[in-house]
Amino acid sequence: MQVRKTKIGLFVFLALTILSITAFAEIKPEKLTIEKMIKADPHRLYLTDLNLNNVIDGRIHVLDGNNYKYLGLISTGMFGVNALSRDSSKMFVATTYYTKRNRGDRFDQFEVYSTDDLNLELEIEIPAKHAQALPYKGTITSSFDDKFVFIQNATPASSVSVINMNSKKFSAEISTPGCWIILPSRSKTNQFSTLCGDGTLMTITLDKQGSEKTKTRSEKIFHPGQDPLFVQAESIGDTYYFVSFHGQIYEVSVADAKAKLLKTWTLLNDSDKSEGWRPGGYQLLAVHEESRRLYVAMHDNGKEGTHKYPAKEIWSFDIDSNIRVGRISGGNAIAMTLTKEKMPSLYVYDGMEAKFHKYSTEPVMKKESVSEPIGEFAGLIETH
Amino acid sequence: MKWLDSFFEDRLRAVAHRASRRSAIARVSKWLIGSAFLLPVLPFDRSPKAAGGANPSEIAENELDDQHCDYWRYCALDGHLCTCCGGSITSCPPGTIPGSVTWIGTCENPEDGKHYLVSYNDCCGAASCGRCYCNTNEGERPGYRMGVHNDINWCMGTDSTVYHCTVSVVLGTAAAK
Repeated sequence: MQVRKTKIGLFVFLALTILSITAFAEIKPEKLTIEKMIKADPHRLYLTDLNLNNVIDGRIHVLDGNNYKYLGLISTGMFGVNALSRDSSKMFVATTYYTKRNRGDRFDQFEVYSTDDLNLELEIEIPAKHAQALPYKGTITSSFDDKFVFIQNATPASSVSVINMNSKKFSAEISTPGCWIILPSRSKTNQFSTLCGDGTLMTITLDKQGSEKTKTRSEKIFHPGQDPLFVQAESIGDTYYFVSFHGQIYEVSVADAKAKLLKTWTLLNDSDKSEGWRPGGYQLLAVHEESRRLYVAMHDNGKEGTHKYPAKEIWSFDIDSNIRVGRISGGNAIAMTLTKEKMPSLYVYDGMEAKFHKYSTEPVMKKESVSEPIGEFAGLIETH
Repeated sequence: MKWLDSFFEDRLRAVAHRASRRSAIARVSKWLIGSAFLLPVLPFDRSPKAAGGANPSEIAENELDDQHCDYWRYCALDGHLCTCCGGSITSCPPGTIPGSVTWIGTCENPEDGKHYLVSYNDCCGAASCGRCYCNTNEGERPGYRMGVHNDINWCMGTDSTVYHCTVSVVLGTAAAK
């Protein structure tokens, strides 16, 4: 028994000695560094936050969608709008500053940030009329070769500023009266279209420097009075997919100098209509080229004025047969986007609880994870 | 969402029998969206933060409360209520600048049953008020119909385009919807 007590005493002595050495080990001088961004994968998320309660201080939150780790932010000034470059290596921003914070001289800037380290790489002063809009997709976007960046203006008269990325200069302002949102052509990289209030699309072609060459209006394609189109649209090739307030999909080709309606089809069967299902949200549509799937945010009991309601469900459709192939609880989505993968994940932003929800899409939609709340007044998501 | 559904149905039953010119569904859905969640402030969140949300028994009264999102003039208002920021329905708070261009809503006054054209002027030049945020969209349309679009800063034509809050000025009667 005495031997056992001695052994226990020795053990306790050694343990305390080790603990005390560990506890009092001196901290060596440290070096301040800047955290390096982890290498981006398709699940990196960019969340545009207008931050309305502090509107001069907008930002883009950058997160890892695999685990929702916060990676950093990009400051975007007042009513900044943003879009990733086509290869996701850059973040394009158009924004407004005042020399005396909330007063003084206004100046608008086009800014380019690296998504490798979130550092500012380029800033160009642009006409002080960029649209101080909620961050709708298409308020700033680039040509599919990233040679031009297009910025929506509003004074409230509508025009588009063109940045030539080769010369890194503002090249032209193009008048687009009564029209809104920028829809570049994939095959004609010197061309973009825009939705107009008379139900047409206007298509603008540019010369090599980025100045206006031609401007052509389509036939009437939609009915702004009876069934307006949401301006957020997604493309496969040169075909843009729009959704209307009452649940019609419009497929519009922007391949030529005159936009053309290819097809319309409905999201709704008779039962859906009787229950008042309608599309709703801000970024309410996503399409996937390889699987030919279209995803849309839907709510029931829809009526005049509910077109921005969060999603009660997300529906998926086969683009070719126009048949609904899935529906799932919508995570209160006001924004959604797919990862750029063959088997994509769908990320949605919950407008009620400010959380991300992640869904797998194949073979059927299934919720995989939910984040903690992030953002103050956010409404646009991009994936790397 | 399940509890939301049940909650919605209960509220619908509770108020459906009340006389009103506006549909019970509309009012219940407004109340539901407006007060079910207090934070964070999001584009559709219509709860008046300063007032702390509506009491269910006051739904009808809210249509006459100019510090509540259900106030009848606010049928297409997206922004902070100037009535909570030191101004009134028709006046900007001290130290701000009235916006020179506006968007227009058409709203029904429950007291006389008439529809009125309402000009939503933003008040500008001071930091965001941050109080009583509302987001209603009756008759609101995308930016290609700019005059009835509310997802843009209507301080855009003013010396300082820094957004502060929004007023609701009656311009006159409109044809019935």
